Amino acid sequence: MPLPVALSLIDVSVYYGARAALERVSLDVRRGEIVGLLGPNGSGKSTTLAVAAGVLDPATGAVTVEGRARGVDPAAFARRVGLVPQEPALYDELTALDNLRFFGELYGLAGTELRRRAARALARVKLSDRARDRVGTFSGGLKQRLNLAAALLHDPPVLLLDEPTAALDPASRDALFADLARFRDDGHAVLLTTHHIDEAESGCDRVAVLETGKLVACGAPGELLRPRAAERAVLYGHLRARPPRYLERAIRHRLAPGAALEITGRRLRLSADTSEDLGLALALLLAEGVELEAYRTPAGALERALREPTEQTEPTPC
Amino acid sequence: MSRVQLTLALARKDWRLFWADRRAALLCFVVPVLLAATFGAIFHRPASGANPRLPVVVVVEDGGPFTRQVANEVLASQRLDAREASRAEAAAQVAERRAVAVVLPAGFERLKLWEPGSTQERPELVLLHHPNATGERQWCEGAVQELVMKCVARETFGASDRESAPPFKVAAEAVSPYPRTQFNSYSHSFCGMSIQYLLFWGMESGLLLLRERRRGAWARLRAAAVPLSCVIAGKALATGSVALLQVLVTFGVGYVAFGVTIGGSLVGFVLLACAACALAAATGLLVAALGASEARARSVSVLLILGVSMLGGLWVPAFLLPGWARDVSLALPTTWAMRGLETVTWQGGGLGAALPSAAAVAGFALALLAVAALRLRLTERAIREGRV
Repeated sequence: MPLPVALSLIDVSVYYGARAALERVSLDVRRGEIVGLLGPNGSGKSTTLAVAAGVLDPATGAVTVEGRARGVDPAAFARRVGLVPQEPALYDELTALDNLRFFGELYGLAGTELRRRAARALARVKLSDRARDRVGTFSGGLKQRLNLAAALLHDPPVLLLDEPTAALDPASRDALFADLARFRDDGHAVLLTTHHIDEAESGCDRVAVLETGKLVACGAPGELLRPRAAERAVLYGHLRARPPRYLERAIRHRLAPGAALEITGRRLRLSADTSEDLGLALALLLAEGVELEAYRTPAGALERALREPTEQTEPTPC
Repeated sequence: MSRVQLTLALARKDWRLFWADRRAALLCFVVPVLLAATFGAIFHRPASGANPRLPVVVVVEDGGPFTRQVANEVLASQRLDAREASRAEAAAQVAERRAVAVVLPAGFERLKLWEPGSTQERPELVLLHHPNATGERQWCEGAVQELVMKCVARETFGASDRESAPPFKVAAEAVSPYPRTQFNSYSHSFCGMSIQYLLFWGMESGLLLLRERRRGAWARLRAAAVPLSCVIAGKALATGSVALLQVLVTFGVGYVAFGVTIGGSLVGFVLLACAACALAAATGLLVAALGASEARARSVSVLLILGVSMLGGLWVPAFLLPGWARDVSLALPTTWAMRGLETVTWQGGGLGAALPSAAAVAGFALALLAVAALRLRLTERAIREGRV
């Protein structure tokens, strides 16, 4: 029997001036599931999350958390939502514990209860030994874990994460998804945004694909991953270090026709018309001294959904 | 959680952030004390009752005995700090505005032959002065004229010292609501620098809020449904409490090291200090509300704070400012804060004398706070509605 719906976006539209950032998006997230919002930059992922977190009012439609609308009781709504912003929303000048104390106080926690919850949140993200260290001394990965701990402090049923792996190396990313899986198993509803298909495929129970503010596909990754004959061969990788621009240009120049290389930060996406061409492109990359920490090759249906805009006009409920 | 608890939580966070950088916090207290001490030293005059003496250089270019007599009178004057030098040396001193030069040129000796009603060409006495030292020149001219006329009276009429003295007495009277008190440059500078640095601290606090709003931490505050009124009250409380500590430290050091005392109403002083701290908090919120970016907000705020400090008489006493500046300054909170603090410190004024100033400063603080709150509310609404 499925667990109850924790977060519900009903026909939500958001406009930035005259531009529609979200158009009639409907999405339910149940307790005990991780839903990934997938889409290219500017597709409306962060806007969806901001609306769900109650920091942005929709122009039309409604958002409820466990049946409560923000407009009716903002405090009750806020207590049921934990937001993990993309950039660590922390005070570098304060210690990890002081940060958690402050954010806990915002949700009405105090005294022994606050201390207990802060200790538990730190333990959940394995930062107990750094509790009294200033956040400014933390690495990006540690900050992201503390960022997550701050959102968990008041034990909200709904956890919202905006591109949580953007600044993480593969090991930290895997650790984060392991944490999220635990929270899901504890009965939390998790909604996260990403533009990395491999994360959505491997870490989410359901995936909602956004494109220019519209929900164009939604379902379990397995459902969206129907093999198709015309798929391009794709490889996602994580670089040890970003190669210099001139080298990037030189490699691109020598790729087979139809092959493409995209590098964003330390993330890499290599694609080609055939798996043979993809293998050749990878060999070329390695021969030029580009080092990969990790890579994976997804089946590609989500890739297709992202790359080929749909013609549909009616919104897809999810 | 009640709004009061939320406000206190926000204020505690700001208090912790302030103390997180210990050196910056320390400077916040040290800088106003150092500046106040420096300004105080610059404007300090000995309290012994001795009148200040004008530095004068006497150049004697006529070798006659009467000229020598005049030169000696000038050199011996209690009103002048005079010494003899060559014309070149005198010109150098004048060029640096170190002194006014009194030149007794060749032919000055003819003055000895002067008689009442004489139509002969009068000998010349030359005064050399810096272009910006008109006041000193007039001061010197008055003193030298009196001395020369004394010598002429002796020479021409054989008058004794007593007979050649002015036939009247000058009765000088200080007109002030507090005539028994004397201007204390350290009291003035500690009052002025305290107010100025309260405003600078307010600005820093406002810039911190601007920084916070750009960081993700503000998104967390929005997600936690923290009412804007609590954010404003928390910020005002934290800024005001640090400001109060700043006042205590500044005046504490002033009392211990420079003899700055609260000669008037202590309650009046406390009221004025609280009003000035509220003004600092309101200034900070205004900076945060109106500032588009940190760099721009800092530049504009520094300019405005220095401007209102100067016009408000925080650097030099207001009575040294031109009349128009004094009229304009009535519309500035700094003027009232300064008036009030001076009233209860070196002027020894009572509570009644301090209340109008305290009320004026509190009124300015409330007005700035209202503008800041309105602006922040409009901005937040625009953000929530996706218009920003």
